[in-house]
Amino acid sequence: MSEYDGVETATRALIHTRSPEPKPIVYCRSCLIPETKPDIFFDEDGMCSACRHYDGRDDVDWAARRVELEAVLERYRSKDGTTYDCVIGVSGGKDSTTQVIRMLELGMNPLCVTATTDELSDIGRRNIENLKGLGVDFLEYTTNPIVRRRVNKLALVQVGDISWPEHVTIFTLPVRIAVQMRIKLIVWGENPQNEYGGPAAAATGNTLTRRWLEEFGGLLGLRVTDLVGQEDIEPRHLIPYTYPDDDDLARVGVTGIFLGYYMPWDGLQNAIFAQSYGFETWPQTIEGSLCNYENLDNHQTGIHDYFKYLKYGFGRATDIASMHVRRGRLRREDALKLVRLHDGKFPWTYLGKSIHDVLENIDMTFDEFIDVCDRFTNKRLFVTDRHGELARGADQHLTKINDDNPE
Amino acid sequence: MKQRVAIVDYGLCNLDSVRRAFETLGAQAFVTDLPSDLEYADRIVLPGVGAFPDAMRNLRGRGLDDALGMQVLEEGAPFLGVCLGMQLMADLGHEVEDTKGLAWLSSQVTRLVPTATDRRVPHIGWNEVRPARESPLFAGIPPSADFYFVHSFHVACAHDEDVLATTPYCGGFASAVQRDNVFGVQFHPEKSQQYGLRLLKNFLSV
Amino acid sequence: MLKTRVVPTLLHKGWGLVKGIKFDSLRAVGSPMQAIKVYNLRNVDELVFLDVTATTEDRGPDFSLVDELADECFMPLAVGGGIRTVEDVRKLLSVGADKVVIGSAAIEDPGIVRLASDRFGAQCVVVSIDTVGSDVWIRSGTTRTNYNAVEMAREMERLGAGEILLQSIERDGVMQGYDVETIAGVSGAVSIPVVASGGAGTFAHMLDALRDGGASAVAAASMFHFTEQTPMEAKQFLAAAGVPTRV
Repeated sequence: MSEYDGVETATRALIHTRSPEPKPIVYCRSCLIPETKPDIFFDEDGMCSACRHYDGRDDVDWAARRVELEAVLERYRSKDGTTYDCVIGVSGGKDSTTQVIRMLELGMNPLCVTATTDELSDIGRRNIENLKGLGVDFLEYTTNPIVRRRVNKLALVQVGDISWPEHVTIFTLPVRIAVQMRIKLIVWGENPQNEYGGPAAAATGNTLTRRWLEEFGGLLGLRVTDLVGQEDIEPRHLIPYTYPDDDDLARVGVTGIFLGYYMPWDGLQNAIFAQSYGFETWPQTIEGSLCNYENLDNHQTGIHDYFKYLKYGFGRATDIASMHVRRGRLRREDALKLVRLHDGKFPWTYLGKSIHDVLENIDMTFDEFIDVCDRFTNKRLFVTDRHGELARGADQHLTKINDDNPE
Repeated sequence: MKQRVAIVDYGLCNLDSVRRAFETLGAQAFVTDLPSDLEYADRIVLPGVGAFPDAMRNLRGRGLDDALGMQVLEEGAPFLGVCLGMQLMADLGHEVEDTKGLAWLSSQVTRLVPTATDRRVPHIGWNEVRPARESPLFAGIPPSADFYFVHSFHVACAHDEDVLATTPYCGGFASAVQRDNVFGVQFHPEKSQQYGLRLLKNFLSV
Repeated sequence: MLKTRVVPTLLHKGWGLVKGIKFDSLRAVGSPMQAIKVYNLRNVDELVFLDVTATTEDRGPDFSLVDELADECFMPLAVGGGIRTVEDVRKLLSVGADKVVIGSAAIEDPGIVRLASDRFGAQCVVVSIDTVGSDVWIRSGTTRTNYNAVEMAREMERLGAGEILLQSIERDGVMQGYDVETIAGVSGAVSIPVVASGGAGTFAHMLDALRDGGASAVAAASMFHFTEQTPMEAKQFLAAAGVPTRV
């Protein structure tokens, strides 16, 4: 029996060594985003589509866009004050706080809707309360935590994204509320494609459709209906995760806009703005990140960000560094140093909460977690030992085969 | 007590799916090409993807034909032949060249003959398996459930009583056979999702 | 009766899955592991996994990747891209592929089809025929051959192929319908199953490929990858239209 095991290991090693030679990961010449990122294109100069698109941003006539925005808002503003002018999906973070402030400046009466995360942090709670205090009607929708935790775990195991249910409710809940309360306009902040490039059609669009949601909304191919029957989940548990059907949307006439299309939208700028209105930041750089002003509301985010690193070889630190490089705040060589310090480190804690506590809440052991990590790791991106196994450091940290373009 | 299931490796194909399927069902499945390992098994599975002559050559070369005969026919270990594994139980195979099989069931392995409605061979895809009689192997499985087939040859049994189930393709053929403790299925239960897993689970208790 | 299969196709290039348009402008769409797991959750009939640039990059299949992905598949898996030798075929089958898809090699070295078929059985050997109109192109649609699809299909059947994967290059990724005419030509010319690929955008397109084209199965990549439509919905549509499917 042990004789067979030996044969099997040897055969597997043989299969591994005969696989194609790993070629190095190619990074954008301008920022630090690697070619592995979904929906990114690199041109002949080695510049990524996000950088190209950012360059193109200088040509926008913001004054004209502002006029457009005011026209859109006027079209949807309630004539007699008996309904809300718009729905804003909020989290209490820098962007949603800024969105609310801007909408109030523009004379809108929004209904703010938040889909609370399961692992809401204390600072996240304080920021939500701060947002309410700006002077808005606020609907806080918490999903059934027992179901939510099962879905978090299921999504982690099935698609390697613990935050899949949060991504879903960010889109579905404001839209469900809009339909139910007959509010036509939903105001979101940033169209992710504007900042990060992507196929041209979506990057310049300014309304939300169901097709858009499913293509770019980060659903990773998993649909709400796929959950039914797994872990005792039934359709009736999934109401908040279910996108309203096209008929209801058409009947109410729900549409969505992205403020990021109508005004320059930048994370750091929004953080500075929101801070003046009471938004609170973390006392130090957040684990795996390069900043202290975003993703403050969910202790599971550390795991979520880590899986991006495992699948694609870059994490939140790279995203933030690249954004600052594009805007001239960081030189690329300094950005690389910072990324090397923080990117993709194993998420032992997030906002100070231990991974063991987070895993316990979703009923997963540490070993099970490591197993799932391995399953989703794109092994060709990382250094492996001579048996073809991932080389993990003492702190479980993985090492990429290259973190910048070879000379 | 976990069932120990020996999955016979005769060098032709992937055995991981079969092994994982049994493990999912709670059995202790191990892959082996050693005749001496077979006596430790509670059940024996002979999977198979490939051509008949190569398969018999490999089985004989490793002494597995005799070892299997001993454990299954003499010692009575429950046995499941899958796809090619079912075909190998025949007297004679006509694939590529005429080759003698294990001769456990009076039968021959011949090519499926296309008909007007069933024009295409190999038979690839999901098709109905209709049990000819009650059997523990098909317990809890609806009478015309679909299983996954991928083959060009089929087993023509000399005795009707050996035919456990048929599938209506190319005039109908035996998709499952049984004699005492010896079972064979032409389809791939490990690829046939819920009913396939149910069948394998049933095999663990025959 | 034999059910029609609806087969999602995963295209892999470089580091992950891609979606293409006319075999070009390949756009990275994500991790193969998560796609495989989603399809596994959905109990699809069968899955095709193609490494689209292995041949043009002059390398063989990535066996360790296939090994990992096959571990997640409890459904039939056909793997292609970069297969040049019988040894490649053997290794792919040993790491978990149920069938192999041979493309450029079928033209550049047709003996491999015969060898693989004799050794592993015709049912393991799928030959992919990539077409522009009825002309056959190889090497991920970069090199034209002198064959037409019908001739090639007949020749491959003669050499022992068990199945043909017929892919329309010009309709790939465009989601405007399959090349029904070419499909009909090929399926009428051979007695082995023909899987139609390239162009699916709606369920009605699939019905056309099956009814008018005579295909035995329909494959789709773009249409399924973005979650808007699922293989199960496709099969329900087809079943309602009278096509036997596994629902």
